[in-house]
Amino acid sequence: MVVVVRRDVQAVLLILIGGALLRISLTDMYLRYVKDGLRPALVAAGAILLAVGLISAVRDGIQRRAEEPAAAHTHAPATGSADERAAEPADEGGHGHDHSAGPRAAWLLCLPVLALFLIAPPALGSYTASRSDNVVAKPAAASNDAGFPALPPGDPLPMTLADFLIRSVWDTTAPLKDRNVRLTGFVTPGKTPGTWYITRMVISCCAADAFARKIEVHGAEAPATDSWVTVTGRWLPNGQIQADDAMPALTATGVEHIPTPREPYE
Amino acid sequence: MTIMFEKSAPPRPAAAARTAPPPPLGAESSATVGPVSHGRPPAERWRPGQLEFFVLALVGLLFAQPWIVDRLGTPAVQTWATVFVAISVQALPFLVLGTLLSAAITAFVPPSVFTKVLPKRQSLAVPVAGAAGAILPGCECASVPVASGLMARGVAPAAALAFLLSSPAINPIVLTATAVAFPRQPEMVLARFVASLGTAVLMGWLWARFGRPEWIKVMRRPHDHGGSGKWENFRLALQHDFLHAGGFLVIGALTAATLNVTVPKHVIDAVSGSPWFAVLALAFLAVVLAVCSEADAFVAASLLGFSPTAKLAFMVVGPMVDVKLIALQSGTFGRGFAARFSSATFVVAIVASYGVGWWLL
Repeated sequence: MVVVVRRDVQAVLLILIGGALLRISLTDMYLRYVKDGLRPALVAAGAILLAVGLISAVRDGIQRRAEEPAAAHTHAPATGSADERAAEPADEGGHGHDHSAGPRAAWLLCLPVLALFLIAPPALGSYTASRSDNVVAKPAAASNDAGFPALPPGDPLPMTLADFLIRSVWDTTAPLKDRNVRLTGFVTPGKTPGTWYITRMVISCCAADAFARKIEVHGAEAPATDSWVTVTGRWLPNGQIQADDAMPALTATGVEHIPTPREPYE
Repeated sequence: MTIMFEKSAPPRPAAAARTAPPPPLGAESSATVGPVSHGRPPAERWRPGQLEFFVLALVGLLFAQPWIVDRLGTPAVQTWATVFVAISVQALPFLVLGTLLSAAITAFVPPSVFTKVLPKRQSLAVPVAGAAGAILPGCECASVPVASGLMARGVAPAAALAFLLSSPAINPIVLTATAVAFPRQPEMVLARFVASLGTAVLMGWLWARFGRPEWIKVMRRPHDHGGSGKWENFRLALQHDFLHAGGFLVIGALTAATLNVTVPKHVIDAVSGSPWFAVLALAFLAVVLAVCSEADAFVAASLLGFSPTAKLAFMVVGPMVDVKLIALQSGTFGRGFAARFSSATFVVAIVASYGVGWWLL
């Protein structure tokens, strides 16, 4: 059986989890895992857990240890009184709790904290992207009469991958023709050697629901996998239009390495 | 009963034990547990306790960090770790919200409040509780501890379970997200609302009719110490419920991350053409992906080639049955409960999706 979590260790666990949440939400690290909008909730949850942990550390750790010799039976904080201990094994399946020992499952809360501090998992990259289909859902503007608004001026025009995909696949006026555009993303190797995609992952809530936006890049050597680049170039009409799973392409005139952006997802 | 440290979670107890120095605390140890320690004189010699082992294991891990990172550097493991951490991080604030509410209900709300608000007859209390699910603005991780707190306060299990099922699916945040994800199909929002509430109420009634009280294992909470005050009880209940549910959340996140990374998507895609299998396939996908109910509409919308009814099934099943929830429910109400309740809910939710999909979509 797994040992129950003592009160003073519970306090350490709470402080660890609260601290981990604060650590990732007060820096930009949380953006690797969840959306921007969750930040206030993460800070609040981290602060609450940290506060509860600190209060517990004082009340259950320090104060009770000091009181213990005098009040061994009435509260039996650190060790549990004999009768409670004896009663516990009768309680089935890992759910015995007396008031001094916490749930055994709580040990598992170490895992996300350890994963965060020891591995510091990076944002999803080419490994996930190469396993994910391109999804270019038909936007509302494609079906109504007004159609798409004109593209803003700019040479090259900075665009998100989402914009580029939608305009190239669904905008029947082909506004990308003869326009220089600039896209930012990471490098995913293509299925055949030498081909590559400029890629962004998209998350709606957390990294568990991510999917990829990919655009084939022609006319430039593939940079290192997972490195971040801006690609300047022109739309290469390859017949990939009017379909949910289209894979548009771009002829690159310039590829520039950039540092990983603050927000890795689009 | 003897408690052995060797089997607990921190992975390097042996190394920690070898290096255990005497800590500065003169207080007596809390480690070795058992009747022996009862009434021990304070002057007894110090022995390292769980706290000391735990802290040492953490310090050991900290120093082993470069070695561990080296071993776990492959893209597949990193992707798995990212998804695992993401699910945990995403769910923790909602779990804190849920345990705060649950602890507040147990510590501050007298049981009489619920008996006044809810109709006496269970068959009426179930739909009222189900509709009340609309007011808890969270995802499924918040609803499990709240339902448990409600039961602890004397709310009929059938009503609390209807609330448990409906609240992650029909609250305003989730319905708004659904409307945003399906911009040209407002009927999808209505269908989701009707199918989810219908499933929740039906499950409540089924529980009232066939459920047995012994199937639910009542969680033993830290009990009141006369005189320690409402706030102290609140803190103890919060601490206990959070640590308990949090541990099971981690089990769920581990399972979901593993399935998320290993289940190949083309297996699911292969059945998209068949109307019957497509619904089952997406219902199954909802169970293994364990996407938060606030985001599942976006995932459903991105599943190309599936019928609207299949997408509806994904959104009805997801908030009610998934691997993360099954783990949370086993922790809170017992494994026997989770097995019975989740499988019944899965069937009812699929039937409701077929029915409502045929009617509205």
